[in-house]
Amino acid sequence: MSPAADSIGGEVLLQATDVAKTFGGLKAVDNVTFALRAGIITTLVGPNGAGKTTLFNLMTGHLVPDQGEVLWLGKSILRLPHWKIARLGIGRSFQDLKLFANMTVEENVETVTERGSWLWQPGGPSARTARKEKVEATLAATGLVDKRHDRAVDLAYAERKFLSLARILASGARLWLLDEPASGLDPGSYERFLSLLRKQVREGVTICIIEHNLDIVQGISDRIAFLDQGRLLAEGDPKTILSDPALAAIYFGERAA
Amino acid sequence: MWAYIVNLAVLISINAILAVTLNFILGYAGIFSIAHALFFGVGAYTATFVAMKLGADFLLSTAAGMAVGALISLALALPALRVRGEYFVAASLGLQMLAITVFTEWKSVTGGIGGLTNIPPARILGFEVTKPEHFLVLSLTCLVLIILIIRALVRSSFGRSLKAIRDDETAAWAYGKNVAIIKTTAVVLSSALCAVGGSLYAFYLSFINVESFTLDTSVQLMAMVIIGGTATLFGPVVGTILILLLPAGLSYLPYLPPTEIGSIQQIAYGLAMVLLMIYRPGGLWGFQEKPKAKEGGAP
Amino acid sequence: MLLLQLVINGLQLGAIYALTAVGFSLIFGATKVFHVAHGAAFTIAAYLFWWTSAVLHMPWPVAALIAVLAAVLFGLFMERFVYRPIQRHEGAFFTVFIAAFGVQIIVQNLVGTIFGRGFVSVTTSLSRSVEVMPGLFVAPIAAISIVVAIIVFTVLTYYLTRTHTGMAMRALSENPDLIRVFGLDPARVAQYAFAIGSAIVVPGAIFTAMTAGLNPAVGAHVMLISLAATIVGGIGSLRGAACGGLLLGLAENLALWRLDPQWSEAVTFVVLFLFIIFRPAGFFGRPHGAK
Repeated sequence: MSPAADSIGGEVLLQATDVAKTFGGLKAVDNVTFALRAGIITTLVGPNGAGKTTLFNLMTGHLVPDQGEVLWLGKSILRLPHWKIARLGIGRSFQDLKLFANMTVEENVETVTERGSWLWQPGGPSARTARKEKVEATLAATGLVDKRHDRAVDLAYAERKFLSLARILASGARLWLLDEPASGLDPGSYERFLSLLRKQVREGVTICIIEHNLDIVQGISDRIAFLDQGRLLAEGDPKTILSDPALAAIYFGERAA
Repeated sequence: MWAYIVNLAVLISINAILAVTLNFILGYAGIFSIAHALFFGVGAYTATFVAMKLGADFLLSTAAGMAVGALISLALALPALRVRGEYFVAASLGLQMLAITVFTEWKSVTGGIGGLTNIPPARILGFEVTKPEHFLVLSLTCLVLIILIIRALVRSSFGRSLKAIRDDETAAWAYGKNVAIIKTTAVVLSSALCAVGGSLYAFYLSFINVESFTLDTSVQLMAMVIIGGTATLFGPVVGTILILLLPAGLSYLPYLPPTEIGSIQQIAYGLAMVLLMIYRPGGLWGFQEKPKAKEGGAP
Repeated sequence: MLLLQLVINGLQLGAIYALTAVGFSLIFGATKVFHVAHGAAFTIAAYLFWWTSAVLHMPWPVAALIAVLAAVLFGLFMERFVYRPIQRHEGAFFTVFIAAFGVQIIVQNLVGTIFGRGFVSVTTSLSRSVEVMPGLFVAPIAAISIVVAIIVFTVLTYYLTRTHTGMAMRALSENPDLIRVFGLDPARVAQYAFAIGSAIVVPGAIFTAMTAGLNPAVGAHVMLISLAATIVGGIGSLRGAACGGLLLGLAENLALWRLDPQWSEAVTFVVLFLFIIFRPAGFFGRPHGAK
């Protein structure tokens, strides 16, 4: 299975061990063991329906695995509700974006920095200033400063993608799980997107991306994991995996015997 | 004529309080409750109880109503909010129907079907409010205060959290918001403020009975909010005015049999609700949305 | 003996609730539309039956046929002119809910205006109770309604498991995308669902007209209980809706054993409330995968 241990990347941040999830007879995730190491970009690839998004859901607490263990920095997070997991520093984006459609761009970013559930945020004026600065920095980094008062639903396609990223950026998450974040972007936006990701990684963020487009994958991966029919088939160095003919066959639809 | 207008104005302001507080959870948080009339009733009955037993001090009675309303809403919110929104509607429906039976049967507190009469006039800061004009000042003041409170809430971080939950609950969870607590807080606030309307109602009419707190009332409140425009501060007020003015307006039409006016009023806002839902492209939130794009947006 | 009487009454009432609940559940399962105007189909069918048979004195099979036709037309109308336009542009759950609620209000008031707000019923020899055993009164109509309910369920089960469209309807409730794989048009299947779901309420409507009698709010009342039954039985399960309806009918009557009549309806809602809190999936429902 995986020729692991050629470890580029730092400590293991998020680890799924032997997780499985079945939906009505269909094994969506089948005994997957998968680790995300700090400071690198890992991509999760595989044909449609391979279970990639489900794996994300299992690792972030949106779904409960039927078996297996999920560890964050060595501690189990299986019992934690997904909002607490998010507050640990795990951020995610969604394939269908799930923007807060009727709120403005600024509000979308602002609300992510406000974690408290009560009527006012803890921390007083200094915390408020810090949040404001964070919002400004995020808007600047994602190029959305001019659009701050636009409603999310009125944004153009590329701007929505960047807003989705902005939310994670503003949340201060240490690990980003991105689900097809760059699909459909024009080349210019795509370059901007990638350079933003690389900059974040330089500043200490760890990223895991579900991506379909193998060209994109080639451009940014430090590590690749290949999923098919719920099983982790291969994991490791991008060059090795991308040049494996068996995996290519699976990816492009011809099933090996 | 003047008395008629003042009376209408008081009723409008009281109902506006109910509509505005319902909109707080419906329009801003996306929580659909058909139990709002029950909190209206709780406020009214509690305030009356306190007024009859401890003297008709408006502030005390209203505070009592708010407290009891908040407590009961906790009973509804805490368990029911754990489940999906659709179930919350059903739970609120169940609670509303249950409340009607309680209001009708708990004769010692609610006076049963006959209701409670001879409620003493409200006393506020030593001043006894007997004239309708004075009451109008009181009810309008309450309305304005409540609108200001809700405005402050909506513009705060709490308000943003509510709107985020409304727009996409899954994403709200994913960004670290404890959706259950936030929703519960919203429901408690909404119910407590709604009870203020109940207290005003009891003192104004000096008489309350269960007929005012039924499912029909809850539905009418919902119609006020929806027709007036959700997720806006004054939308519910507009909706209230429209719906309360409707029977008055209808009675001027010559060929309508007066016995049918109630029915026609209901048909009118039933129709308004249906047509709004079909033709307003963006749905409920008071915005004009573009036709459904492939990603983002729709809850 | 009282207990047995209550059980029989409960089964009769439960049969009516079960039929309505199954209709609702069928529609929701196949189309994902929370058709709370379903009660209006009940009201329309019941009143038309009463009017054609008791007022116009038509023979009851004709009246029944008219009732079925009206219910089916209503269901199709709602699908085509209310729900489809909404789902085309956005179709959020609550938008549909409000629209359905609006229609329910309109129908209830129209019926009240046209047919009067008082209590009406159809009296036949079948509704007169017969003392079967000392202290035990059963009207032939009670037995008939239970038998009819069983027949309807059997036919429905056959339809859903053996016919192409029926299986498509079931597939649709599991996974809407599958339907195109089947080569069927979702709109067509939706129409079938609404037609059948609305038609199923008619036996219950007729029985109610013959036994308890009607007032314009009857449909709304039955709808509330059916909604409760669907949740108690488990959303997504027709078997559950039927059992839920039966259970609530029994509960409502058995409550009379110990409680005053005014509280019997409250019992239904207590049961609903408890289920929502402790077991939202109901008896047979599929618990949601996500948190």
